[in-house]
Amino acid sequence: MSPDLMRGANGLTPDLARTAIPQYELGKLSPTSPIQPSTAITPAGGNFESTLGQLVSGVTAKQAAAGDAVAGLATNAGVPLHRAMIAMEEASVSFQLMVEVRNKLLESYQELMRMQV
Amino acid sequence: MINVLNGINTTASALEAERIRMDVISQNIANAEVERAPGAKPYQRREVVFETILNQQPGMGGISEAGIQVARIAEDERAPRMVYKPGSPYADAQGMVALPDINIHEEMADLMTASRAFEANLAVVRNARTMAMQTLSIGKR
Repeated sequence: MSPDLMRGANGLTPDLARTAIPQYELGKLSPTSPIQPSTAITPAGGNFESTLGQLVSGVTAKQAAAGDAVAGLATNAGVPLHRAMIAMEEASVSFQLMVEVRNKLLESYQELMRMQV
Repeated sequence: MINVLNGINTTASALEAERIRMDVISQNIANAEVERAPGAKPYQRREVVFETILNQQPGMGGISEAGIQVARIAEDERAPRMVYKPGSPYADAQGMVALPDINIHEEMADLMTASRAFEANLAVVRNARTMAMQTLSIGKR
């Protein structure tokens, strides 16, 4: 390969490109700070109901995006196969997340109902 | 929107780029035996040039996501292959025909490289999914 072929349109040589890729420095990779319980009863984002509503609408949006991607693939609208598959995977995993949250919620409710008074 | 599969956009961009590379290789293989009239330039072998694109992601603590894209599709400037084919309508006075500068073995090796790179990126997708599903099973009993 000639040196010209190795040069990208933005003038990046392989050496330059290597430095352009972010270096993961150990100091920067501090672990995510542990989630602090919110002191107020209603956190800044609203109550739990609206948080759950946001989760559900996020999952709905992912599923709509997956539906659009598959429709785009089926109607030959220029959506590549892997984009459609990844969109479907994302929809599936986020749906699974929602189901897990629902299961936990139901579990704690049933735990409460079983409580002796 | 919630981000359940981390780093998937980088991998998706690589899959896209490898797919374009495969398209270009298929063009090269398909055009390998196309003759042109004397004087006309035969098909030139093409090659993709990748480049890194940096997207600053707000959620990753200042670490940018480095995806890739096809910077351009470069033409190889090798001279055409001259083949003796006196029966061809495109043959010149000496019975020689100009064929594209394509070596099919080279193309097959490139095709295998593209296919393996695609496979490697698919393995990343598969592993990201497995990691997400295993994380969701925290607390299952």
